[in-house]
Amino acid sequence: MSTPTAREKTDWDIPHYAGDHHEELSFIRKYVFSTDHKVIAVQFLVMSLVFLALGGFLALLMRWQLGFPGQPLPGGTLLPETMAPGGIILPEFYNSLVTMHGTFMIFFAIMPLLVGVFGNLLIPLQIGAPDMAFPKLNMASFWMAVPAGLIMLASFWVEGGAAGAGWTAYAPLSASGDFTGVYLGQQLWLLSLFILGFSSIAGAVNYITTVINMRAPGLTWFRLPLTVWALFITAVLVLLAMPILAGALIMLLTDQTIGTTFFLPEHGGEPLLWQHLFWFFGHPEVYILILPAFGIVSELLSNGARKAIFGYHAMVLAIAAIAFLGWIVWGHHMFMSGMNPMLGTTFMVTTLAIAVPSAIKVFNWLGTLWKGNIHFHVPFLHAAAFVALFIIGGLSGIFMASAPVDIHIHDTYFIVAHLHYVLFGGSLFAIFGGIIYWFPKMFGRMMNPFWGHVHFVGTFVFYNLVFFPMHGLGLEGMMRRLYDPTQYAWLADLQPWNVFITWAVFGLLAVQVVFFVNFVASIWTGRKAEANPWQANSLEWSVPSPPPHGNFEAMPIVYRGAYEYSPPDRKEDFILQNEPPRDPVGDRVEPEPQPTGGLEGSE
Amino acid sequence: MNQTAITAAVRRPMPGLGVYNVKLGMWVFLLSEVMFFTSLIGAYIILRFAHPDEFAAPGVVLNVPLTAVNTFILICSSVTMVKAYAAIERNEQAGLKLWLTATILLGSTFVGVQVYEYIHLIQEGFVATAVAYAAEGGPLYGSTFYLMTGFHGLHVTLGVLALLWILTRAVKGVYSSQNLGGVEAVGLYWHFVDLVWIVLFTIVYLI
Amino acid sequence: MQNDGETAHPPYMLIWGVLAVLMFAKVGVSLIGMARWVSITLLVLISLLSAFLVALYYMHLRFEPRKLWILAAVPIPLIIILLALVSQDFG
Repeated sequence: MSTPTAREKTDWDIPHYAGDHHEELSFIRKYVFSTDHKVIAVQFLVMSLVFLALGGFLALLMRWQLGFPGQPLPGGTLLPETMAPGGIILPEFYNSLVTMHGTFMIFFAIMPLLVGVFGNLLIPLQIGAPDMAFPKLNMASFWMAVPAGLIMLASFWVEGGAAGAGWTAYAPLSASGDFTGVYLGQQLWLLSLFILGFSSIAGAVNYITTVINMRAPGLTWFRLPLTVWALFITAVLVLLAMPILAGALIMLLTDQTIGTTFFLPEHGGEPLLWQHLFWFFGHPEVYILILPAFGIVSELLSNGARKAIFGYHAMVLAIAAIAFLGWIVWGHHMFMSGMNPMLGTTFMVTTLAIAVPSAIKVFNWLGTLWKGNIHFHVPFLHAAAFVALFIIGGLSGIFMASAPVDIHIHDTYFIVAHLHYVLFGGSLFAIFGGIIYWFPKMFGRMMNPFWGHVHFVGTFVFYNLVFFPMHGLGLEGMMRRLYDPTQYAWLADLQPWNVFITWAVFGLLAVQVVFFVNFVASIWTGRKAEANPWQANSLEWSVPSPPPHGNFEAMPIVYRGAYEYSPPDRKEDFILQNEPPRDPVGDRVEPEPQPTGGLEGSE
Repeated sequence: MNQTAITAAVRRPMPGLGVYNVKLGMWVFLLSEVMFFTSLIGAYIILRFAHPDEFAAPGVVLNVPLTAVNTFILICSSVTMVKAYAAIERNEQAGLKLWLTATILLGSTFVGVQVYEYIHLIQEGFVATAVAYAAEGGPLYGSTFYLMTGFHGLHVTLGVLALLWILTRAVKGVYSSQNLGGVEAVGLYWHFVDLVWIVLFTIVYLI
Repeated sequence: MQNDGETAHPPYMLIWGVLAVLMFAKVGVSLIGMARWVSITLLVLISLLSAFLVALYYMHLRFEPRKLWILAAVPIPLIIILLALVSQDFG
């Protein structure tokens, strides 16, 4: 190689490692406008847990109305007259509750928890990098998400209330305030998501560049932990799907404000175009909300079972296959839209095809557990619950993927049950497990395992009590986004079930208090964590808890994959990825891996 | 070879795609931009396909000769941009500043002509809103036209601002043949915006 | 694969000339009354050619590693999928 020239200059506008010189940073640069990926991860964690709690509170208000329609909410008089006069929730406010619960949970809780928190925390640590490729862009990404969330929150108090057209904002309902009575609220909703789109795309650019360019020497593509794979593929989905939403949001916003006519049929617009654009974004978005959870669960199951993940390559290919198929199935959300029936059949076939890679993943998770020396620690329990609940959610998904069955269950509580089985039973269980597992890398302490078990068991029981009966309600014909089920004779008989679910929701939320208290208390009073409390293999466990600024003393060198648990010739049942191999004959150290090409890079 | 022999020279990250971070990051960002324009242009194609009567034949409402000249200006700005990059690759500071300035002037001219075109179109009743639309075709034509060309114009404007920033840094002498990531990244963005216009000009003005 | 900057530059001015000619050719195709499907096909082909020239030479894709080509091509199938499937639902 000759002297480095412009095109060869791949090295390296990269940040410094911990061993390099550092200047002392002021409080603001260290904790508020920080460029350290670990601090940004914690910032995302705090933000999204707040919105998670808020979303849960909105759900509680909805459940009160469904369980006890027309009865004043306890303490409901504290709500403004425009929302709940005398504590009784207004139908218009209920529309806002439905919309904002979905919006907050999807865009401001689950998505930042999975992508913002774990993406920021794990990608640099698990690939042996000192930070993201563009730390300032990373900081900007967080500080764009915050105003987006605040704008969304503020829309509750503007005239007409918050957006009420559902989180899918179907036109023409959303395209003109005349239909919902919500003008400014809907516009703020659009604006907020548009800003959040910038934040997500900035994050995705960072993640993709970092994973491609900054892996430690020896860390070939097929030695990466599955979390990194999942987050990388998720970032690709975010990168390509969010702009589609941004374009659609702009068109809807101009329809609302200046009077264009993209989605309003009275001047030649096409409401169905919104549905197509929204779901062309929306279905990849669904996988954005579950793929990182796949990665986290693989990590936790393998660690708990003390076994290599079963079928590592198949796991990677399954994630990639799901991500690709996610682009050609969006029409299955629109079977009832009056779509061309031939097109509906196409979407039905492609959707059912997704069952194949999903089943491969479940099979491999079970294969990982098979004959494992299982340690039932709290993160493992969450991962195991994820697999169980994801199977239920996946099976109910097959029902609605079949167009003829979907005609019956479309827009009923069956759908509500399904989406909560994958989003709560799936993603959120993985998130809880992940937070507990990587808590030491964020705060340097362990969360209390006893209260962790209490929270897990309580959540698992109450979660199923809340959402499983919804399958039955949906099959009996209870429609989603319904304000008052008792107004229909056939649903009035089922009202005891709605009352039961509402009480179960109280239990579910009460158990979450245990988690929040455990979380906050453990930050200051938890047991101090050693570097590798879970005896895991990947690179983040080779550095102190919490890792210093710059993460690694120097660039680590990787000798093996992330899942080589229980190696035959060792006392310990784990081996760090960067531990140099020992030669049984002498003290000769294996030659260090030479950097080689990308995907086809040799083992 | 032993542990201590692992020198800093060996400790290099795995080669990714063989391009440095800023360039790779810009390419990745441009993929996102492709999808953004896909949603805008795709909406136009679908709407026009669904409602052919809402749109006028080429040259009836829109001023094709004026925009052809404007397109030529943007193509010229692309060649000046690439000349700026070629100059700094050979470490020619004067050439970099000269060609950057030319690119900025051409880009600004493009935006200026577009504003002039907008003013004339609006006076003729070709507007984006459904209520006030008074030209050939229907309001969908106006809505989609201003959406696509407006967002393209916004991108050109942002590109001019980015080039101004690059120019101030060039005046300070930041760039050299060893340090030209900024010039190359903004150049990629600029050519991409040019590329989008080539597509837009065809499907909005000529088809 | 590595271009060390010492090699001759790509023919920037030649590409510029070709782009200008293609652009005026498009205007000509559009203004001469041809059968609509002929002129649309010609226009799409010419603008795709122009776009590829810009990407290959001005954005230097021609001189980049093949893996970057793959990266740059990622949105193309998605665009085709979107337009092909959605257009089935209209018209």
